[in-house]
Amino acid sequence: MDKQLDHSDLDALVLRELSSLPSLAPSRGFQDRVMARVSLPRPVPLVLLQRAGAWILQPHRAVALATAYATCVLVTVLLAAPWVSAHANFFTLAASWVVGQVGGWLDAAALAVASWGVRSGVVSALRAVAGTGPRLWATVVTVTIAYAGSGYGLHVLLKAPRRSDELAGTL
Amino acid sequence: MPTAKDLQALSDREVVELAKAGKEAAYRELLRRYERPVFSLIYRMVRHRTLAEDLAQETFIKVLNALQTYRPEYKFSSWIFKIANNAAIDQLRRRELDTLSLDGAPDARTADEVAATALQVSDLAESPLEELESRETGSAIEQAIGRLRPEYRTCILLRHVEGRSYEEIAEVMDLPLGTVKTYIHRARLELREYLADLRT
Repeated sequence: MDKQLDHSDLDALVLRELSSLPSLAPSRGFQDRVMARVSLPRPVPLVLLQRAGAWILQPHRAVALATAYATCVLVTVLLAAPWVSAHANFFTLAASWVVGQVGGWLDAAALAVASWGVRSGVVSALRAVAGTGPRLWATVVTVTIAYAGSGYGLHVLLKAPRRSDELAGTL
Repeated sequence: MPTAKDLQALSDREVVELAKAGKEAAYRELLRRYERPVFSLIYRMVRHRTLAEDLAQETFIKVLNALQTYRPEYKFSSWIFKIANNAAIDQLRRRELDTLSLDGAPDARTADEVAATALQVSDLAESPLEELESRETGSAIEQAIGRLRPEYRTCILLRHVEGRSYEEIAEVMDLPLGTVKTYIHRARLELREYLADLRT
């Protein structure tokens, strides 16, 4: 190497050396480590809903809200009671009209179901099954076992810990 | 939804807009674009790999979490380099305050006090990380850069390693354009002297 480089040579050397400096990389997994600590923006309504839910679900606030709701209902009932009793005749009439209407609809529905059962032969089939004792019992037992089995299966399924719960438990 | 390849074709501004809309791929694209430049700048400033990685990580976390406040009239690169540079400068200042003498406390008067307060260096052999560090920052030019003042170092690295314009460097460093040009000129002179010293 020539030790007697003049200034312009040294300038050129400095620039050459600087431009040849490599770009250095952080260790593997850098991106994931950063992303684990970055919170991505979420839609505003969702954020508000979640915040409201979290706020309400705190035990003391939930109790306070339930108490306030019950108090409102109670106060409304107490305030409305004298007026309702003063107009008792009107309410009796209105209630009997509503009961009559609803009863009429229920009667019509029951009649429609019954006539469909007779027309379609469902009633005669049921009567035939009921007529043979062992077949009826077999049907009842099968349906009961199937129902109980389904219930137990559902219970086991809901009780089984999820993989995320297991992982959370190990941390 | 744009793929990673589509994102590569977009400008910083467009990628930032997608990131603001909550697209994780856009966040990763910004990380991919700037992880090397930001890490290189910080590493060459603090000259310690683990520390540089922590500072680079903090820089990205700060930038990406504050993306909603980013104003598109500024260049994204200027913004991220400014935060990275500030992190590195803060670290260098802190390090200056924390500097301890290996030879014992300055107020130690007797030989026993000096011995009792001297730091014990148990193993002088280089760890694999230290080996990597000396490989990465051990060349003549890297050593010469390491001897520059921090402000000169930032200017020279942004100009000649990252290829940033004088205007952008002025924006990153909050300095007048003339000052940036002066710093770069002086930094080059100092580098020239260091390199000449190394060759004699």
